Amino acid sequence: MSANRWLATGNYFATYKEEQRIFFTHTDRLIFSFFLVCVFVWPLVFETNNKYMLVVDNILIAMIAVLGLNMVTGFAGLISIGHAAFVGVGAYAVASVSRVMGNDYIFLTHAWPLMILLSGFIGAVFGAMVGLPAFRLKHLYLAIATLSFQMIFQWAINFMEFFNQGQTIYVGRAFWFTGEVGRNEHYIFWYYVILVILVLMGFMVRNILRTRFGRCLIAVRDNDRAADAMGMHPGLTKVYAFGLAGFFAGVAGALHAYLYRGVGVESFTLHHSITYLAMAIVGGLGTLNGSFWGPMAIKILELQVEKIAEHAGEIFPASTNLATALRPLSFGLVIVLFLMFEPRGIANWWRITRSYFKLWPFRY
Amino acid sequence: MTYFFQLVLSGIVVGSIYALSALGFVLIYKSSRVLNIAHGQLIATGAFITYALTVWVGIPIYISFFISLLITFILTMSVERIFLRRLIGEPIISVIMVTIGLMSILDGLIYLTPFGSENFSFPLFLPKEPISMAGLSMSWTQLVGVIITFALIGAFSWFFKKSTIGISMRAVSDDQLASMSIGISVPRVFGLAWATAGLSAAAAGGIIGNTTGLNFDTLHAFGITVFPVVILGGLDSILGAVVAGIIMGLIQQFAGGYLDGNWGLNGTGVVLPYIILLIILLFKPHGLFGIHEIERV
Repeated sequence: MSANRWLATGNYFATYKEEQRIFFTHTDRLIFSFFLVCVFVWPLVFETNNKYMLVVDNILIAMIAVLGLNMVTGFAGLISIGHAAFVGVGAYAVASVSRVMGNDYIFLTHAWPLMILLSGFIGAVFGAMVGLPAFRLKHLYLAIATLSFQMIFQWAINFMEFFNQGQTIYVGRAFWFTGEVGRNEHYIFWYYVILVILVLMGFMVRNILRTRFGRCLIAVRDNDRAADAMGMHPGLTKVYAFGLAGFFAGVAGALHAYLYRGVGVESFTLHHSITYLAMAIVGGLGTLNGSFWGPMAIKILELQVEKIAEHAGEIFPASTNLATALRPLSFGLVIVLFLMFEPRGIANWWRITRSYFKLWPFRY
Repeated sequence: MTYFFQLVLSGIVVGSIYALSALGFVLIYKSSRVLNIAHGQLIATGAFITYALTVWVGIPIYISFFISLLITFILTMSVERIFLRRLIGEPIISVIMVTIGLMSILDGLIYLTPFGSENFSFPLFLPKEPISMAGLSMSWTQLVGVIITFALIGAFSWFFKKSTIGISMRAVSDDQLASMSIGISVPRVFGLAWATAGLSAAAAGGIIGNTTGLNFDTLHAFGITVFPVVILGGLDSILGAVVAGIIMGLIQQFAGGYLDGNWGLNGTGVVLPYIILLIILLFKPHGLFGIHEIERV
């Protein structure tokens, strides 16, 4: 293999280990580090406001959730129509601590990293429980199982006194070494927290895919009978995948709870599950960088749709709920069009662009 | 005891409508192995078209009911033609996700109309006084609804068992390649399956609209309850859909009648079907009447 991958005419990996590296050359590593530094530094260089940072934070949280959804839908090939409910489980794990111990309980405000981890594990337990039918059944049925979990979750939150019947449960402000995180630093602070977690999670997924379990997932997705014959346990692999997806969703949910400083059921409805699915599909199912493209694209689309609905609302004052109509309409269209014309998602565009520059000035 | 029989009666009324809605779902699954997640939206669409024709256009309901069946028939057929025809041969997972997208699109389209936010109810066209017998009461609308439901279920079963198209649908569900080799057009059968499913969904929607009033959230919830019904009945059995529909209706009514208000429980009728669904998936995944040779891991 040529030392410079940009000049190589193809992949010349001599060993399996060589192919499995995360970074192929030092240049790659350098570019990636530079990108990371940029991502960490930009809020300090440019002027930001709270509204803007909230959008960015939201996108990052969605990325964490979609990493989990991609694990189960993209890599394991099981449709999950209940991902928002798993995110909700994480958020309500934080909310129940706040409900039982009061929203300024020291564990909640000072030990929030532990709380986030705990929510992740609770999410994982719920994910594995819902995934249990995977021992006997294939994706068709699991789609319905996750859908029914979504309905049960919504019912439990809406009708139980403990969860304030779906009304907002407040979560106290977090503390950092410098003291309480105030109103002005709130979104910047959580931007960094979410970013660090996202980077860790991204590397975690990348590494999981290199392990025995990751290869199992892909083998089971592609042909479960063959995987079974090769000595893997398809059912167990799928349950693990659901558990992992639950973990990611739980972490995302806990971050959501801290970011909004409150939890209400309206952020975890069936509609949100479909939004997460749209993000995964648009980004590219079964790709790691798709989990980053998808949430970005869908959130930007959502903002544009809201803007259009606002403008249209001025012209047609009668149609007051235009935003509620346009949002599902645009998401549905995006899902259907991507599945019909670009089933590999934006990640494929990214791949095409990269190979174009790699081959330039030749066509192929 | 009267209360008990009243619950049984209303359970059968609700359950028969569940059965009719589940029928369309089973038709699609049986012929093309696709789970149509958007079925609830089709039911709502049928209900709203019937209402719009009856009240806004002013056609008598006997005729508008049939016109709405026809419109939904054409609508679902074109949906199949536009979105699903080109996905034949793609992995089943992406077809199911397309139906999820369709569900979202139909949601959006319904929210664009007044039906998305307001409640409507059909004008009464039958006697207002309920039929009372031995302390039980049932409205005329419910009675007519149940009669139409059972008539349609009978017609669909006949269609599936005896008619040429029905037989070719069953052949396609059994083996696509073999049915192609004896001259059945598989894409046409898929289109027809979707169209008949749309027709039955519209019929169910029209009946629900007349018995419970038109509210998108209610219709939406109704559409999702179809999933527990079909899983309980076995995904590919018409008989199963009918029996499971009635069982589910009874369970919901009993839960609403006996559990709600006691032990701090509320709205159990909504959630119980899903809990049952998860239990069935764990222990008896092929349902009551589904064929046992179901894709296993």
